[in-house]
Amino acid sequence: MTDRLQFLWPEIALFAATCIVMIVGLSRRYASRKAAALVAGVGLLAATLLSIGFSPDVESLPASAAQQLLPNLVGFAKPLIGIVGLLLLLLAAGTVDRREEEEIVRGVRVFDPLRSNRAEFYSFFLFSLTGLMLCADADDLIWLFLALELTSLPTYIMVVISTAKVRGREAGVKYFFLGALGAATFLYGFALLYGATGTTNLNAIASHFAAHGVSTLGMAGLLLSVIGVCFKIAAVPMHFYTADVYEGAAPQVSAFLAFVPKTAGFLTILLLCATVGWSFGPSAEPLSVVKSSAGGTQLPEVLRLTLWVIAALTMTVGNVLALMQVSVKRILAYSSIAHSGYMLVGVIVGPGDGSFTGSGVSAVLFYLLCYGVMNVGCFAVLAALERAPGRDGEPREIETVTDLRGLCVTHPALGWSMVLCSLSLLGLPPLLGFFGKLPLFTSAIRAGEIPLVIILGINSAVAAYYYLRLAFAPMLEQADESAEPIVQAPFRSRQVAAVVSAGGVVVLSILGNTLMEHSRTAAEYRAAVPSGGSGHSMVDDHRP
Amino acid sequence: MHDGAAGVTAAGAAASGPWYAMLIPILPLAGFVLCALCAVFRVRSKLPAWITVGLLAASFAVTAAMYSTVQGTQITTVFQWITWSWGSGPGQSFTANFAFYLDGLTCLWMLFVTGLATLIALYASEYMSHEAGAGYCRFFAAFCLFVFSMACLVMADNLVLLYLGWEGVGLCSYLLIGYFYKKPSAVAAAKKAFIVNRIGDLFLALGIMLCFVHFGTVEYKEMFAQAAVYTKAVSAGEIEKVPLVAQLIAVLLMIGAFGKSAQLPLYVWLPDAMEGPTPVSALIHAATMVTAGVFLIARTYPLFLISEYAMPTVAWVGALTALLAATIGMAQFDIKRIMAYSTVSQLGYMFAGLGVLTSVGAAAHVFTHAVFKAMLFLACGAVMHGFAGQLDLRKLSGVGSMPGWRIVNVAMLVGSLNLIGFPVITAGYWSKDTILGEAFANPSMQGVAWILLLTAGLTAYYTFRVYFRVFVGPQSYEPGEELHAQHDDKHQGHADHGHAHDQHAHGEKSGASHGTHDFHPHPPGWAINTVLVILTIAAFAAFWPIKGTSHPSHLGYIGQMMDASSAAYDPHHDAAMYQFAAHKPAPGEPRSHATFFGFDAHKAMMWVSGFVALIGMAIAYFLHYAGRTSATHSRADSWLPAAGPLANWAKHKWYVDEFYDFLIRKPLLVLAHLFHIIDQYLVDGIVDALGWLPKGIGRLIRPSQSGELHGYAFGMAGGLAVILLIVFLVTN
Repeated sequence: MTDRLQFLWPEIALFAATCIVMIVGLSRRYASRKAAALVAGVGLLAATLLSIGFSPDVESLPASAAQQLLPNLVGFAKPLIGIVGLLLLLLAAGTVDRREEEEIVRGVRVFDPLRSNRAEFYSFFLFSLTGLMLCADADDLIWLFLALELTSLPTYIMVVISTAKVRGREAGVKYFFLGALGAATFLYGFALLYGATGTTNLNAIASHFAAHGVSTLGMAGLLLSVIGVCFKIAAVPMHFYTADVYEGAAPQVSAFLAFVPKTAGFLTILLLCATVGWSFGPSAEPLSVVKSSAGGTQLPEVLRLTLWVIAALTMTVGNVLALMQVSVKRILAYSSIAHSGYMLVGVIVGPGDGSFTGSGVSAVLFYLLCYGVMNVGCFAVLAALERAPGRDGEPREIETVTDLRGLCVTHPALGWSMVLCSLSLLGLPPLLGFFGKLPLFTSAIRAGEIPLVIILGINSAVAAYYYLRLAFAPMLEQADESAEPIVQAPFRSRQVAAVVSAGGVVVLSILGNTLMEHSRTAAEYRAAVPSGGSGHSMVDDHRP
Repeated sequence: MHDGAAGVTAAGAAASGPWYAMLIPILPLAGFVLCALCAVFRVRSKLPAWITVGLLAASFAVTAAMYSTVQGTQITTVFQWITWSWGSGPGQSFTANFAFYLDGLTCLWMLFVTGLATLIALYASEYMSHEAGAGYCRFFAAFCLFVFSMACLVMADNLVLLYLGWEGVGLCSYLLIGYFYKKPSAVAAAKKAFIVNRIGDLFLALGIMLCFVHFGTVEYKEMFAQAAVYTKAVSAGEIEKVPLVAQLIAVLLMIGAFGKSAQLPLYVWLPDAMEGPTPVSALIHAATMVTAGVFLIARTYPLFLISEYAMPTVAWVGALTALLAATIGMAQFDIKRIMAYSTVSQLGYMFAGLGVLTSVGAAAHVFTHAVFKAMLFLACGAVMHGFAGQLDLRKLSGVGSMPGWRIVNVAMLVGSLNLIGFPVITAGYWSKDTILGEAFANPSMQGVAWILLLTAGLTAYYTFRVYFRVFVGPQSYEPGEELHAQHDDKHQGHADHGHAHDQHAHGEKSGASHGTHDFHPHPPGWAINTVLVILTIAAFAAFWPIKGTSHPSHLGYIGQMMDASSAAYDPHHDAAMYQFAAHKPAPGEPRSHATFFGFDAHKAMMWVSGFVALIGMAIAYFLHYAGRTSATHSRADSWLPAAGPLANWAKHKWYVDEFYDFLIRKPLLVLAHLFHIIDQYLVDGIVDALGWLPKGIGRLIRPSQSGELHGYAFGMAGGLAVILLIVFLVTN
């Protein structure tokens, strides 16, 4: 077991930082409470550096310690999580208790240690990221379940406390109950998988499947697990909550929701799919028991078809619903659904021939990075701006597309960030989103998924309708003179997050080759060996 | 290395170059970032200029170091930019790295690009001084970005990076021509330059794509190695063995080069580009960017050598452009425009030089022209700066003898002598002479040769027409229109130089009623004078790279540099070009050498071209200097009616703009209206119908987003149930 510890240094650092944030956050002194954000930042930075600098040498580890199926996944996923997490943290500044803070600074109100929940927010933030990183490490179903829930549970509370509005509470409650339903579904799936194979260890499950084929029970477990996890990635049929929750939460938390649970979900789906592997061909064997020894290049047909339908529906539903929205946050929420659909194409394709243009897994991993950066950029622009206080004295959030009008003139940095990020989400060359989408297309074409590619292409075109609205409103239209002016929210770091993301959209596309190479390495897939072997010793540790 | 393509093949196994070569583009890029930061922090001093001058000078020093170390062809890779593969076979991978291809051609180009950019930035520090503030930062940021793009263009080791630089210089050119963006003519000129260049760029892009389709690579090293096979076939007199597609690449690249280098029929943007500030005209539209087309052809010379059609077209287009632009230049009155047409004309010489197979002569002419034409522009700019924007040669006279204008006068004289190719002592003579001699020596290029010789005489005339009218003769001047501009509207036009500066320097009171009497021209300050002195010395020193060492082409170090580059080609030893001769001699037979009335063409040209230049100069002296008593009128004006309508046509630029308007713009407008109607009723109709579909679906499923918790839970559970049910039905 200690071998696995060397994978976990980033999580340990993050967890330590979380504890410190909680303790500091309970201090009676105002000044030390204000340090919570700083501590969170330092902890996250340390975790990121640890994940980059001390990635364990997978080759030299005993086979039981490493995930055998996707052995290099951790080396890409954790730095990705750390870096996007840092961007999100910049964005999260001042999410809770902002008005109260202002009043304290102005001397209107006295600091009340019992009322402030600033530190809770940051510790939930870090808990969620810790869970996300643990997802990447998972080699066991129980571990996976705990990591997934550690990722999700804090987000329910973050949604509620991110804004003082009733809408936020409604969103939080919806998110919680529906999330519980999703979790129940995939937990049931995990249980069926255990029932089918007698183990919770992913490697052992894979070996079992490789040796005995995928039984009906095992397939049912896989399907339930994958569909349950669709809640995390906001895919059909688990997508209903998305728009309401994103709209109800503060934009910075919506950005968090669009990246963190989605990444956790995709890592989980990749690991689950890896247990059966992508080496099933269209075979003559009965569908109830399929073996990977058929030597093809696909997921088992049932799983493939299910994912195929989910992918096609997800992108279509996301895009057509986004067409009709006026609220920027709802547009981005539906677009987040659509992007999950795009990425599912990569999951269906699988590792392919292992080259960057041929591997769907590396396309998914690279797209997660691209999506993380572009998405943070868009939400950061929303978070960095607000409507000046009107008669009621409350500054209002940026809501509709019309609020974005003329932003390139009034707030050039933020306006152009919005333009760049939304064009990149659209996939316009030469921006990052284009290079993200390209391998999804090429790998799917090479895998022969032509109908899916056509659906993907049509959906990308449909998406242009609303992304261009997001890009043109700041760039080409005039600001509305009659309403209260749009002003910058008093948090410089949000602006920094927006500009850094927009810069990343441009710069990473130039440096994209290196990142693609990393994602290609991370996507390396080792099919399981039929004999149970090494995995079983691990199984005993976890058996209840 | 006189074996041309074979030499390129040998260089194919390129060593890796010095790492510091990457500093050459990086330093100007840093300058761009710093100048942009200056704009952000609202710097109002001359800081951006000093940043630019310092970094560009450092870049020049690095270039010089690179020149002294690079041997043959070396490649410095900065980082892997694009590497895609979709298979392991040939043509199944696409590689375009941020890598630099360092050879003689790169060194030559980068030496004069960075050197002149440094000097012109210094000049601009004074010239643009009245713009201090945001405009100053904007100017120098674009200036640095230009040098960076030009470095990418020149140093690229593949066509994609070259294209990036190509578009980058186009963008900077657009930004700088339209620098006075509140002046409608400047905006129009910027748009014109950009659009005309787009036409060329389209063909360049097509050429690059075809390159990839045919050779399976866009990297020079690989490309030239593959082209060497064809070169052998051409040398053996079997041009028909070269596939048409391979020959077409050069044709497409050639059209791209025509656009950037302002050749027929795409030259019309360059004269208008003079709306930009004069340092921009000097650097971008005279010395460096416009030679990018020449560079492109020199860089891909192995591809041109295997194309039956490209090379003669280059020669003829070059010659005709040279003649046409020279005739227009003769009839203009705006001295900056005359210099612009002269640039077009001299670029024609360079293309003709490439076309008649003296890449050495063309490169030498690029180099000498860069120095002396930059100097001529800067001298004209000094006049413009000093006389409140006056550029009309009928309103200025005897400038050279005014106090404080001596250096400008000398610079103008030296530049003019170089431009006309004054025999023996000027570097311009040797470079132009090589092109002329080689043209006459080429049996199939006699027509080109005669056109070029005639143009040489016209060049001498229009050049000294400017000098004799403006710089010598009786002193007389009228200030330009900028004197009457309002003080507060320096961004509203007239902005090339502030007259406020003029008046404060002379303690005058400003007022609405400035007449000629109140106006005193203000001679250039130290920065402008220093640059002009350095360039005057450089114009003479340009003699050294040409004559400093012996070389079969009589072009010394430049000849050596070109031999160590992709443009290596020696017409006296390489047999590759047999196909252009009227008759094809058997392989191995020495190439037939045309003569000039029985004399050796090269030796004859040394005399004849010098003589023609002197005649042109003498005519200019007679018509524009001898007996002239006022600025406005000279003997030429009385004799003009004798030329009939020709002079008038030339003055109106042979109505080429109007012709293009009629031939291209009008039909396009009609088409545009037609398409607009089709678009509105047919295409929009279809699109609306198609667009209705996703919206319809959206409307259909929108009720599922009711916002109700139980509805959502039902949807999730129901969806799950449906999927499982279907799976259950399918599997059983």
